[in-house]
Amino acid sequence: MFIDISNIKKHFGEGDSRVDVLKGISFELNKGEFCVLLGPSGSGKSTLLNIIGGIDNADSGYISIGGEKTADMNEKALTLYRRKHLGYIFQMYNLIPNLNIKENVEVGAYLSDNPLDVDEILKTLGLYEHRHKLPNQLSGGQQQRTAIGRAIVKNPDILLCDEPTGALDYNTSKEILKLIETVNQKYGSTIIMVTHNDAIKNMADRVVKLRDGVIRKNELNQNKIKAEDLDW
Amino acid sequence: MKNPLRRRIPREIKGEAGKYIVIFLFMVALISITSGFFVADGSLKKAYDESFEKYNIEDGNFELVDKPDAQTLNAVETEGGVKLYENLYTTQESIGGSRLRMFTDRKDVNKVCILEGRLPEGNSEIALDRLYMKSNDLEKGGKITVADKELEIVGIIALPDYSALYENNTDFMFDTEKFGVGIISQELFDSFSKTNISYCYSWKYNDPPKNRTGKDAVDKASEFSKVITQKAQLIDFIPGCENSAINFSGEDIGGDRVMFLVMLYMLIVIISFVFAVTTGNTIVKEANVIGTLRASGYTKGELIRHYMAAPLIVLLVACVIGNILGYTVFKDFMADAYLGSYSLVSYETLWNADAFIDTTVVPFIILAFINFIMLARKLSLSPLNFLRRDLKRRQRKKAFKLNTKIGIMKRYRLRVIFQNIPGYVTIFAGIFFASVILLFSLLFNPLLEQLEKDTVNNMIAEHQYVLKAPVPTENSKAEKYTVITLKTEGNDFTENITVFGFVPESRYFHAELSGDTVIVSDSYADKYGLEKGDSITLKNEYTDKEYSFTVGGVYTYPSTLAVFTSIDDLNTRLEQPEDSFTGYLCSEEIEDIDQSLIASHITKDDLTKTSRQLKRSMGNMMTVFQIVGIAVIVLVVFMLSKVIIEKNSQSISMAKILGYKKGEISSIYIHTTTIVTLVSVVACLPLTAFTLDKIWRAMMMNYTGWIAPNIPMSAYIVSVILASASYLVTAFILKHRINSIPLDEALKNVE
Repeated sequence: MFIDISNIKKHFGEGDSRVDVLKGISFELNKGEFCVLLGPSGSGKSTLLNIIGGIDNADSGYISIGGEKTADMNEKALTLYRRKHLGYIFQMYNLIPNLNIKENVEVGAYLSDNPLDVDEILKTLGLYEHRHKLPNQLSGGQQQRTAIGRAIVKNPDILLCDEPTGALDYNTSKEILKLIETVNQKYGSTIIMVTHNDAIKNMADRVVKLRDGVIRKNELNQNKIKAEDLDW
Repeated sequence: MKNPLRRRIPREIKGEAGKYIVIFLFMVALISITSGFFVADGSLKKAYDESFEKYNIEDGNFELVDKPDAQTLNAVETEGGVKLYENLYTTQESIGGSRLRMFTDRKDVNKVCILEGRLPEGNSEIALDRLYMKSNDLEKGGKITVADKELEIVGIIALPDYSALYENNTDFMFDTEKFGVGIISQELFDSFSKTNISYCYSWKYNDPPKNRTGKDAVDKASEFSKVITQKAQLIDFIPGCENSAINFSGEDIGGDRVMFLVMLYMLIVIISFVFAVTTGNTIVKEANVIGTLRASGYTKGELIRHYMAAPLIVLLVACVIGNILGYTVFKDFMADAYLGSYSLVSYETLWNADAFIDTTVVPFIILAFINFIMLARKLSLSPLNFLRRDLKRRQRKKAFKLNTKIGIMKRYRLRVIFQNIPGYVTIFAGIFFASVILLFSLLFNPLLEQLEKDTVNNMIAEHQYVLKAPVPTENSKAEKYTVITLKTEGNDFTENITVFGFVPESRYFHAELSGDTVIVSDSYADKYGLEKGDSITLKNEYTDKEYSFTVGGVYTYPSTLAVFTSIDDLNTRLEQPEDSFTGYLCSEEIEDIDQSLIASHITKDDLTKTSRQLKRSMGNMMTVFQIVGIAVIVLVVFMLSKVIIEKNSQSISMAKILGYKKGEISSIYIHTTTIVTLVSVVACLPLTAFTLDKIWRAMMMNYTGWIAPNIPMSAYIVSVILASASYLVTAFILKHRINSIPLDEALKNVE
């Protein structure tokens, strides 16, 4: 077991406006596993992802990654943990507007002592010919591919994806999902992807369904299919 | 691998070229002026300090009624432990009614510094002080009429014992147009000295005091004065430590440094806040990127360094260019400010490490510190806060309540103000600081003109004579009086107070003198905060005797720090005979007194020379201050208003989409800034006046004499007009910016 998520609780607000977003979430993931967190809006999936990523704190419970508990880490150690182990992909690409595509990927490479080859990543992502362009010269899908490149170039142990296809059309979404699948297979990264698109669960090794802050279903996907075969 | 974010820095500077160019140019101007001033100041100060040894400047001089014989001089040398040097001079009337004090070449003491040309030969040549020549538009090779002789100017010189052209050591200020010094040949001197000669002797101690101006120098001079008074009849006795003609320039050269430093640092603080506000705006714009970088593992320190880089690079480049310009172009410009006031000996430009530290290292630290504090605070939010664009530390639960009876446009404007309070606070601070500079520059000339006017209107008599010996006059308008110069108490700073004794029911002094109490001049009362009933003690510096007076009233006499009492009272205090007197007051020139018996003849010209000289020497500097003040207003208001417009570009775009007209949008964003700016300009006035009053008083306390800081209404009005006009230029540019915001701005991703 690589990631141990144990009895995570989290609330927002106080008094009448208190909302318990996570009510004791526990599950485990193995190294290299592809996990999809499914659930409707407000189910707590993004909050859980943020706690796993060390950018939000749980009220109680703990997350252990490779035996290290994030709750025991101070801010500096958490930054170091994210730097060493995590790659992040968001729905919004959040690229740096005045750096070109290659430089945006290098921003990720800089964080690693042992980064992957930037040009190779760009080729894998189909961005090599666009490497000198600025983000605003590319389509949404190309920008998201750049964001993926920035996340994976540091060869992270875990890739956290928060609705990575949320802002993309069907075809582009499938392209992105294929890339994430490739990353998982080629580099062996553990992937946790938050989505409300039910179809995506089919390409995952594990599906965790959340509703109202509790796990409704946590199961291994016995009928895993390739991303290119997904349909919705 | 180097941090790839560094590649953003030149692009960031290029992308915000307008902002960085404006700040860069302002900083280059500021630093080059300051650096030039410090280099000139340091080089001139060093030349001044070294001049004591190089030109063998005297330890003091005294003037006798008659030429002493060799035996007397020998006795003075032996008993006083000094070596004496004959330094006779003749004072003659010259160009524009000015007085020219002429010496023969000084080979041993107070040696002549030849700046250009040569020393005179024969009886038709003269070498003149550089500043006197400049003030009277004279040129080398030209002619000057002295008394009835036409002389050719063959040399431009500086006398090290007249670096400030004080005619009398008791003068509040010198007047380079009305008084000058020169060197003539012995032959010419002999012909002049038949009508007017002063038996002046310089001395150098055999065993000089450790500190040239310290207490031991004062004590030593005091001891020596006792020796000389026993041997000869003194007209004047000026120890080197108290000789304004020698010391004033040296004290002033160092003194203005603090003013420049304070101005530089305050402007750097303002610029640092402008950078802090603009960088803060960039952080808001780039919140998602920052959140992503932080979530990916970039540390807070890495991001702080990244966002600090562009302002610091711009500052450093500005510092380097500013220093180069300072050492080349502005050094001469700033040295001219001193050389326009003082007759300084020649100097060489020196590398000034302090100037580099003050104009580069310290501004760098100030900018880095203020920006670091701001960035550390802003970037201490969690990555999640940045990703959610949730950048407020304290979330307001409800919107700030505004009365719904207020029209929507007014409410909109109020919301813009509340949203931009930090920017507006910086605008207020910038305007306040600019107003202090602006008002200072505007108040200077009117203040001097008022002083000149008040001085003339409140002269005791149009002609005031101080005699070398009490001689009678037949002039029926002449009135006897006694005058003595005493010193205020104090260790570090003392100054001369003129004590007058007038006859009862004087026709020139219009206040009752009781004898129990004295009246003080308004300038003395204002400077030292004297009130009726206060006690003052003054000291005779030569005899060490102290005199105590009780203040009984204040008399309008702005030109001099003075005490007025009855002649009987003053004679009694001075232990002089009842009918003793030292001079005459008269409404017309007294013509039946031998000129050789007149020690000084004070007229309107003498009393107003302070203001004339200050206007002459400080005029250019005040123009520089005005430009700096206006530049600060334009810079601060423009930069911060630009931030406000950028911050609201989506709202402005949306307002355009909704159908708001350009005028209506301007009325929300520009008029808001207009209101804040104009309110700041007006609201700053009392605060500025208060600050300026304190600064002026503190500054004047270090100078002898007093100019009251009465800020004229005209200075306020011009200050408001200049500040408002500066803003109008800014508003015009901002209006153009608002008009250029595209309609699709509102449709863009927040990213």
